[in-house]
Amino acid sequence: MDLFLNLAINGIATGMLIFLIACGLTLIFGLMDVLNFAHGGLFAWGAFVGVWAYGITQSFILSMLAAVIAGLLLGLITEYLIIKPVYGNHIQQILITLGFMLVLSELIKVVFGPNILAASKPPYLDGSWEFGDVTVIKYRALIIVVGLLLFLVIMAVLKFTKIGLIVRAGVMNKEMVQALGINIRLVFIGVFMVGSALAALGGALFAPSSGVAYAEMGMEFGIFAFIVVIIGGMGSVPGSLVAALLVGLSNGFMAYYYSDLAMAVTMILMFIVLIFRPEGLFRVSGVSNK
Amino acid sequence: MIKTIQKSTWIYIAVAFMLVLLPFFKDERWFLFLMIQVFTFGIFAMSYDLLLGYTGIVSFGHAMFFGLGAYSIGITLNFLESTFMNLFLGILLALVLGGIVAFFAGILTLRLKSHYYAMLTLALASLFLVLAEKWRSVTRGSDGFTFRIPELPGPLQDHRNLVVYMFCLVSMVLIFFGLRRLTESPLGKILVAIRENEGRVESLGFRIMPYKVIISVVSGVVASFAGVLYAISIRFVGTNVFGIDVTLDALLMTIIGGVGTLVGPIIGAGIIEFAHHYLSDLSDVHWIFERWIILFGIVYILAVIFFPAGIVGTLWHKLAKRKHKKQEMKQKTSDKLAS
Repeated sequence: MDLFLNLAINGIATGMLIFLIACGLTLIFGLMDVLNFAHGGLFAWGAFVGVWAYGITQSFILSMLAAVIAGLLLGLITEYLIIKPVYGNHIQQILITLGFMLVLSELIKVVFGPNILAASKPPYLDGSWEFGDVTVIKYRALIIVVGLLLFLVIMAVLKFTKIGLIVRAGVMNKEMVQALGINIRLVFIGVFMVGSALAALGGALFAPSSGVAYAEMGMEFGIFAFIVVIIGGMGSVPGSLVAALLVGLSNGFMAYYYSDLAMAVTMILMFIVLIFRPEGLFRVSGVSNK
Repeated sequence: MIKTIQKSTWIYIAVAFMLVLLPFFKDERWFLFLMIQVFTFGIFAMSYDLLLGYTGIVSFGHAMFFGLGAYSIGITLNFLESTFMNLFLGILLALVLGGIVAFFAGILTLRLKSHYYAMLTLALASLFLVLAEKWRSVTRGSDGFTFRIPELPGPLQDHRNLVVYMFCLVSMVLIFFGLRRLTESPLGKILVAIRENEGRVESLGFRIMPYKVIISVVSGVVASFAGVLYAISIRFVGTNVFGIDVTLDALLMTIIGGVGTLVGPIIGAGIIEFAHHYLSDLSDVHWIFERWIILFGIVYILAVIFFPAGIVGTLWHKLAKRKHKKQEMKQKTSDKLAS
């Protein structure tokens, strides 16, 4: 029981991190039909900026804030330099964002040095709580809480605010929103920046939990995020949460029992979804996948 | 008979003939090796062009076919005796495996938007990379392994590199003409039509899926063969053949050379391989050259934005324009004469 719960908590924490990348990806796709292959790179940047800021300020909150700001800025730069010039051309978008992904991860090596950075947790988040025979690692609990809170905030913003209404309407039919006199491009830039910031925050949260930050983690988690977006359904935020938890949990359990098969199980999950429900578990009306 | 052969074919044959003669004038080892790389990656990039240039499919995991080919031949020759029979067997295995993987990747995602194929292949390639690292008893993990290629009879053994050079060159030329024939066939025309306007092709009564799957299988098989040649030329297989930079190389070669031209990717392969070679020498001069992926990444992004037709594409465009102008001029003068 103890083992089961620990593995489950571990898996949920991983799932939450993947969700932070995937929800930006899915909204960006739903809004503008843009699939940003560079999104994982922001995860890695968040991790490095977080570790660097923590080293300077010794404050966990400030390091998270630094990562979020870096994410917002990088999101703006990406949108302006990379997405805008090839706006409307799918194949060029896919090609160019992959190129930018590689530039982003190589730039990390230029800015922060080619070596793996060690990341540490603040003392008050180190250690674990014991409930009977169940041990809960404090930091993982923090990731889960932060992830859930962010999910609730995103859903509340989408459901109950005017901006959320515009974004949801834009996902369904952007031409209509545009026709109603709303500058959809501005909305898109905003969503792009917030999505990038969420990915960066995910990276900053991940680094202390694994103890290291390395440039290749962007690609690794980026691939997980793509799988999650496919499983959850393009454009759906709740879908990406459910799919991220599914992937996180299956990965967590498999990594313990047959670590070699962890990736394969995730892929099999995706294959099953692609065969039987290619539009994903949660279909959003208006977002076509054809 | 001869008249029906296109003028460009003669040019290609002449260039191929010069490449046959080239090693007799410049036979340094590094040069031969570099040219072999150009040929293998030329084949690889052509297979990429079939998808990207002719059909408008983006694959981000093309390295998996390359790696499958390399590992197939390596494992066959490593575990079985190193004979020509087994070499042939290994090549056959590579082609069949490449085709099967391409078929399943195709039927899973090609009915969906182009993003899906890109994502799926990216994920599949990373799965193969993990497999190659973890299945240590067969692949020797990240250390990789060397293997022997069968000995050639008699005096040829002393000129082994030359034989490999010729083999790769002949393969490239044959594959080039084969693929060109394919793209000029009715099938190829339909593929281009799909790239230009999928809905219209569908409304004309064609089923799109089978065409896309066929081309993805052809591309996978050719890419797998390129992997075989690569492994034979360096007689070593490591996990790097599944790496994302192999896919990126193919992308760069195709885009810089010219998308949808077939000869462009070969020229791109030449440029990139020689640039690799000379840039790595420059790393003593400035550290930025050690991080050459950044340079290539930036060149690649700029090429996608400002230079989407590539070298060959732009040239063809200019030639076509000039021809058009000439014809216009002729028309005008004849009009004047008539009036």
